Amino acid sequence: MAFRVVHYINQFFANVGGEEMAHIPAELREGKIGPGLAFETAWKGEAVITHTIVCGDSFFAEHEKEAKETVVNWVKEIKPDLFIAGPAFNAGRYGYACSNIALEVKQQVGIPVLTGMYVENPGADYKDKILIVPTANSAAGMRKGAPMMAALGLKLMKGEKLGASCEDNYMPNGVRVNFFEKERGAKRAVKMLLNKINGKPFVTEFPMPDFDRVEPGKAIPDMSKVVLGLATSGGTVPKGNPDRIEASNASHYGEYDIEGWDSLTADGWETAHGGYDPVYANEDSNRVLPVDVLRQMEREGKIGKLHRYFYSTVGNGTAVASSRKFAEEYAKKMLAAGVQACIMTST
Amino acid sequence: MKSPHRIRIITNNPLVVTVLSEYYTIEYYEGIGYRDILVKVRDLVYSGYELLTHPLAGSVKPNETMFKSIVVGTDMKAVEIEHCNLMMNAIITCDKFKPRNVTYSDYHIKDFQLIDYTLLCGALDFDAIAGLSKANINSY
Amino acid sequence: MKLELGFIKINDVQFSNECAVKDGILYVNPEDVKAFVYDNDDVKSYIKSINFDIAKPGESVRITPVKDVIEPRVKVEGPGGIFPGVIAKVDTVGSGRTHVLKGAAIVTAGKIVGFQEGIIDMSGEGAKYTPFSKTLNLVMVAEPVEGTKQHDYERAVRFAGLRAATFVGALGKDVEPDEVKSFETYGIMEGAKLFPELPRVGYVHMLQTQGLLHDTYVYGVDAKRIVATLINPTETMDGAILSGNCVSATDKNTTYHHLNNPVVAELFEEHGKSLNYVCNIITNENVYLADKQRGSDWAAKLAKLLDLDAVIISEEGFGNPDADLIMNCTKQEKQGIKTVLITDEYAGCDGKSQSLADSDPLADAVVTAGNANMEVVLPPMDKVIGMLDYVDYCSGGHAGSLRPDGSIEAELQIITGATNEMGFNCMSAR
Repeated sequence: MAFRVVHYINQFFANVGGEEMAHIPAELREGKIGPGLAFETAWKGEAVITHTIVCGDSFFAEHEKEAKETVVNWVKEIKPDLFIAGPAFNAGRYGYACSNIALEVKQQVGIPVLTGMYVENPGADYKDKILIVPTANSAAGMRKGAPMMAALGLKLMKGEKLGASCEDNYMPNGVRVNFFEKERGAKRAVKMLLNKINGKPFVTEFPMPDFDRVEPGKAIPDMSKVVLGLATSGGTVPKGNPDRIEASNASHYGEYDIEGWDSLTADGWETAHGGYDPVYANEDSNRVLPVDVLRQMEREGKIGKLHRYFYSTVGNGTAVASSRKFAEEYAKKMLAAGVQACIMTST
Repeated sequence: MKSPHRIRIITNNPLVVTVLSEYYTIEYYEGIGYRDILVKVRDLVYSGYELLTHPLAGSVKPNETMFKSIVVGTDMKAVEIEHCNLMMNAIITCDKFKPRNVTYSDYHIKDFQLIDYTLLCGALDFDAIAGLSKANINSY
Repeated sequence: MKLELGFIKINDVQFSNECAVKDGILYVNPEDVKAFVYDNDDVKSYIKSINFDIAKPGESVRITPVKDVIEPRVKVEGPGGIFPGVIAKVDTVGSGRTHVLKGAAIVTAGKIVGFQEGIIDMSGEGAKYTPFSKTLNLVMVAEPVEGTKQHDYERAVRFAGLRAATFVGALGKDVEPDEVKSFETYGIMEGAKLFPELPRVGYVHMLQTQGLLHDTYVYGVDAKRIVATLINPTETMDGAILSGNCVSATDKNTTYHHLNNPVVAELFEEHGKSLNYVCNIITNENVYLADKQRGSDWAAKLAKLLDLDAVIISEEGFGNPDADLIMNCTKQEKQGIKTVLITDEYAGCDGKSQSLADSDPLADAVVTAGNANMEVVLPPMDKVIGMLDYVDYCSGGHAGSLRPDGSIEAELQIITGATNEMGFNCMSAR
C-alpha cells in the first residue's frame, strides 16, 4: 500500500488564475494537480496524492479562521499519512498560507506536515514550528525543490529518524542534530577560514543566536525642546478596536490620535493583545503606554511636546518581518511629522 | 596580583570553609544548592558587587556536583552589564541540564567538594595541596 | 623551525618476552615497561600496582575510566626529548627528527575521583565516536596506594603514562620509518619574503586550565600560570603540551590529541599553498575573570604583532571556556583579524537548548564537533579493562546509566574525545 498524501496549493499553481482569482475559497479536488506531479514522480509509487486542496491566497488571508476549519475537517476525514503545502517560493501570502495551514493541520490532526519556500519568504518565520524545505525564490526552482520536499516527506511517512537539517534539507529549526561530515572539523575550519579570508561565501555550522540588536540612538542632552513619539507592541487601541488589529500574529498596525487625551482612560482605550491577561491594561491603558506621565512632563516643560499620534500593534506571535515592515512605515511618518525621539513599549 | 583582601567567597562547600577561612572572607550557605549559589551571586552582581570568577568554572556539570564557590568583590560599585549577562547566562545554562536522580555516597560528595575547592584555589592562586595539608586533611 | 616526523606503521601489538618493533609489530614485555615506569618517585610513592592489557580495534572491549591517551614517540635527531620539562630536560623541542609508532597508543586508566569518566569502546555504537577505537591500545590500569590524595594520584598516573609512552616510543628509535614527512615554519621576516602573496594565518590554541583534573602543562609548567605566548607548531609534535585533565572527557584534549593536533596538521597541509602558517598562540581558560581579560588581550596583541590576517581558535571544555572563546574571537575580529572557531555544543538531550554559555554576532564562522548531550546506548562488552562502578555518577551518566546487562545509557560526553574541539573527528551538528 502506498502512503496517502493531501497537497495544499494556491489558485496560481492550480492554474485557476493569478491575483484576479486570489479570492476563490478553499476547494477539495481528487488526485494531483500541478506541482503534485513532481512529488509523485519522486515517490515512484511509494506515495500518492489522493487529494489536492486549492485555496486563493486572498481568501486565506481574509478568512483565515474559516479556511483553516474547512481544510482541517477535510484532512481529518481523509486521514492521509502526510500533509504537504506548496512550495511557495517567494510568494509572501502563499508562503504565509502554507505555513499557517500546515501548522494548523499538525496541531489539530497530528499527522506529519511539510512545506517549502524561499528562506526570505515571511512564511519561513514558522521554521521552528513546522518543517520547511528551503527552495529557490521563483518557480524555476521547482525541479530542484520538489524532489527535496518529496524525499523529506517520504522519510516522515516512514517514521524514520530525522537527520540534521543539512542532511534532510529543511531550514534549521533550532533543534541541533548530530551527524557525521565527510571531513574532520579541523579541515572544515581551515576551508572556512580560507573562504572567509578570500571573501568567498561560507556557512557557519553554528549560527550565533540572532538577537537582531539595534544600536541605540545618541543621547539627547536637552529633552525640553523635543517632540516625543510613542509606539507599542502592547496592542493599545481605541475602545472597540476600530482597525481590528488581530489578538495574535498581527497583519497591520494602527495610528491613533491622542489630541485632547490627558490620560488613556478605560472609557476610551483598551488592548487588542491576546498574549497576556488584559484586565490591568484595560483598566488603565497608561500601564502599557504612559501617556499620563508624559502629559505631566509636557506641562512641566521636561519634554517639548508629545506627538499627536501614537502607533500600535500586537507583538503576540507577529512575524519579525511584519514588525519590521510596520516600523519602517510609521518611523517615516514620525520623521515627516518632526518627531525627534520615540519611546517604544512592549509587554 | 590577587590579594586575599577586598574579596569574598560565596560558597556552599564546607571544605572551602575548613581550609580557606583562615585566609579569606567567606559567606557560607550550608545545605543550599548549586543553582541557589548562582542566584545569590547574581543578586549581588545586579546590585553592583564586582564578579571576580566565572560562575560556571569546572567541567563537572551543574546537574552533577552540588557544590559551587564564586568570588565577588566586597565593595558596592557601578553595575557591570557584562557581569550581569554572565550571571544570567550561567543560570540559563544551569537550568538546561536535566536532573540525574543519582544518590551520592560520602565518597562522591567529598570528591565534588575537592574539585570545587581546587577550581577556586586555581582562580585565587592559592596552593590547593598546601592548604589541605595545613588543615590536616590527609585522606580526603 | 623544521621537524621531520618518521612514521613507523604499527599493525599489531603483542605481549612478548622482549620489547621491540619488528615488521610493523610492537612487542612489549609488560615487566620491562613496569620497571621503567616505576623508576620515578611519584609513581613509587603513590601507585600500588599497575597492570597492562591490550585492546584492539573491533574487539568487544571497554576501557574505562580513561585518564589519558598518549602516542609513543622518540626523538631521533635534534635538541631535547619527548615531553620536555616532564620526562626529558626542558630543551626547546620541535626541530630535527622524531619517530612515531603510528597506530599504537598508551591508554592510562585509573579512578582518581568518584565521578570520573572517559570510555573507549573498541567496537559497537561507542566505537563510532572515539578515535581511540581505531588505535592499537596498550592499556595501563593503575591502583593507588591506600590513603593517596587525589592530587598525588593524578600526578603519579600522569607521570606513569608518559613514562610508559616514552619507553615504548624508544623502541622505534632505530627502526626505518615507512614514511617521513617534514614540517617547517619560518621566522616572521623569512616567511613574509617566502610567501609575500599568502595570507598570514595563526592558531590560537586555548588550553584547559582550571584546577585538579582540569589542567594542561606546557614544558612542565601548569598553564594556569602562563600569559598567552607563542609556540612553534612543531614543538607540539614533540610533546611540549600535555594533558592533565579528564573530567567531561568528550571535549578534553588528551596528550595524543596535542601530539597529533589536527588544526596544526590541516594548516600545514595548506602551508605555502593557500596560506602562510606563521605559528601557534597558546592561551588559557582560567576561572578568574581578570585572567580571562589578560589572556585574550595578550593573544590578540601577539596576533597583531605577528601581522596575522586570520586565526583559527580552538576551545577546550564548556561553560567557563565559552567566555574565553568569545573574548578571543571578538578581540581578534575587532582588530581586523578574521577568525574561525571550533567548539562543541551542550544543546540538551533534545537538542533544543542554547548550545553555548556565551555568544557574539562577531563569531560568524564556527565549526562544531556536535552536541555532547546527545544520548547514546553503549552495548555490553565481553571484557572491561578498568572499572565501571563510577558510571552512574559521571557527567553524561545518570541513575541507572549502567544497566544490569552491562550496557550503558548515557550522554555522549562520557566518551573520550567524542566532541573534541580541535576538530579531530568528523562529527558535527546542525
